[in-house]
Amino acid sequence: MMRSVINQFLGLRLSGNCSVLVTQVRDKGHLSRPRLRNPQWFLRKEITKYNDLMTAENKQFVNEVGTNNFGVPAVIKDSLVKTEAPTANEAVWTPNSRRCGVIARKIGQYPLWLKNGERIRTTLLQIADNHVIKYIPPEEYLPAQVPKVANLHKRGCILVGSETTNPALLTKEYAGIFRNSGVLPKKNLARFIVSPEAQLAPGTPLTVNHFRIGDFVDVRGKTVDHGFQGVVKRHGFKGMPASHGVTKTHRRAGNIGGGGEKGRVWPGTKMPGHMGNRWRIIKGLRVWRINTKYNVMWVQGSSVAGPTGGLVYIYDTILPFRKNKEAPPFPTFYGEPQQDGDDLWYEQLHNFKSESITYENE
Amino acid sequence: MSAATKLHKTSWCALRQLQQYRTKANFSGSSASIAKRNDLFNQEQRRQRDAVGRIDKIEVRYLGLPEDVTLVMNGNISTPFNCAQHLSEGHCKRSALALIDGSVPWDMHRPLQESCTLQLLNFHVSEPHVVNKAFWRTCSFMLGAALNRAFKPEANLQLHSFPGPNIKSGSFVHDIVLQTQNWEPAKEEMRALSAEMVKLAAQDLRIERLDVQQDLAQEMFKDSKYKSEQLPSIAQQTNGRVTLYRLGDHIDISRGPMVASTSFLGKCVISAAHKVAEEGPSGAFYRIQGVALPSGFQLNHVAFGVLEERSKKPSPARLPNEPFEEQQQLQLS
Repeated sequence: MMRSVINQFLGLRLSGNCSVLVTQVRDKGHLSRPRLRNPQWFLRKEITKYNDLMTAENKQFVNEVGTNNFGVPAVIKDSLVKTEAPTANEAVWTPNSRRCGVIARKIGQYPLWLKNGERIRTTLLQIADNHVIKYIPPEEYLPAQVPKVANLHKRGCILVGSETTNPALLTKEYAGIFRNSGVLPKKNLARFIVSPEAQLAPGTPLTVNHFRIGDFVDVRGKTVDHGFQGVVKRHGFKGMPASHGVTKTHRRAGNIGGGGEKGRVWPGTKMPGHMGNRWRIIKGLRVWRINTKYNVMWVQGSSVAGPTGGLVYIYDTILPFRKNKEAPPFPTFYGEPQQDGDDLWYEQLHNFKSESITYENE
Repeated sequence: MSAATKLHKTSWCALRQLQQYRTKANFSGSSASIAKRNDLFNQEQRRQRDAVGRIDKIEVRYLGLPEDVTLVMNGNISTPFNCAQHLSEGHCKRSALALIDGSVPWDMHRPLQESCTLQLLNFHVSEPHVVNKAFWRTCSFMLGAALNRAFKPEANLQLHSFPGPNIKSGSFVHDIVLQTQNWEPAKEEMRALSAEMVKLAAQDLRIERLDVQQDLAQEMFKDSKYKSEQLPSIAQQTNGRVTLYRLGDHIDISRGPMVASTSFLGKCVISAAHKVAEEGPSGAFYRIQGVALPSGFQLNHVAFGVLEERSKKPSPARLPNEPFEEQQQLQLS
């Protein structure tokens, strides 16, 4: 019943500035159970560090020459040579198309002001050094753990990497993933399920221009790990008074069940336990502001999961009333980034860099 | 007592050699000729050991860690390896080459002839040029053994020779003749060759040295066309004696010192096989190149990739089909 009430709230068109704050319903803890079970062929990423007794000039030489195999290719815009991926001109967006996402880092939170004076909280997400590594077509994509995506068999998978590292610090197998992509190996990898028309060529850079201001995004992150926490912090229990004769019970749960025929502790009873370090997706966040020079976007609210500096994954929203109605940069933004370096502000935002008081020259 | 120990020692040596034979090998040369060659090698080894006669004692002054000591050893019988056995097991395992009187490189399993100073070299000494060259030479030698084991009988593989070690060229080299003129090695074939090298290293085979007269060498290599042709000019330079090296059941001709055993080979990649020239109506010379690191040295895959790329380039060493000029004295191996 709770769920239907929440759905009704979502249906109401409240002032589109803030997202509706709802208590997330965590049915019986299935969301809180860690689901990751790595397959046997899961690759080890970093080599064990050792002193390899190379001279300094040899190390420098290897850094220059050894990375020649990885190079950033130019993005093909109007190619004359036949390539497998459809070029920018050919891909056609439909409302059912699913685009690639990006990997970003949460770098902080900041207030912004609307033109009517209202203050809103925003989170800054930086899309650092993203490149497409590989595209796997729908026929070949067979993940070990099947994600909960509609029509998975009709959709392909794009592997995206962020934050370049020195390949000498990585295992040969992990660096081998990037060999045919034309980019230097990356620290972080992520899969994004996309429709086949949204496929991208390996080596395509993904910037903040992949999204526009006013778009809505879903952001997935891993919540801050609070460790083993008591019931007051974990579930918001009120606890007991600090004084007035209360003996040895100030932050305890109190009663955990009734008697009678079903006189037992029910499964799912809220108790102390591990809190945090879980994947959570917050949906329908508006993009208020974009900085193309540093690839930073300001998204609504302060509920993005995870600590500052943590990784997040950004997708186009799936909320039905906030989805794209006209074509976004599809399959991604291929143009030249704007040169003047000024941020892009949503129309309702007060641009506090602009002059608010102007004087006429006398 | 001495007769009993002598008997025990010969039977132990024979057993060890038998063990080294039994490593299953897929010969492209006929196994009968290889068995005969090994028989002759063993006989000559035994004959030279028996010919020592009255054992003379020599004083070997060992210089190095943990301290300088004087060892009293048997002349023409004791080897630098035996001296290392007096020091420690670590010395035995780590020493790749010996240095006599500060300047003469000496195989670890070659008998010492007279009183001398001895230094045991490993790959971490401050001046490793001598031991590096010996390692490179050993890699070429091991490559010959690996090629014998790897090729199918249909290929009609014949080993030609290997030129002297040139580490700066980026690769160690072995020249062969195959009865096909258009062999383009696939990636899997090169990987199989590298795997054979690694298998040899894992077997920890001792590398033995033997100095023989030219006619015995001719007898041993009478089945190999190219070796028989090379032997007269080789023997001419070294007063009618030819130096042979044995590794398992593979025997080859080489001048210079080799490292003590195959266990010193660490990471190894056979990277390229270049066709050099055609030979006869249906055969051709091929040059097999590879690169390797001694065991105990770790290198990240990017740096080793740079070495691999470099080793694919055609080596500038003397080609097998060029006439060998005695004047030039290009180091005969």
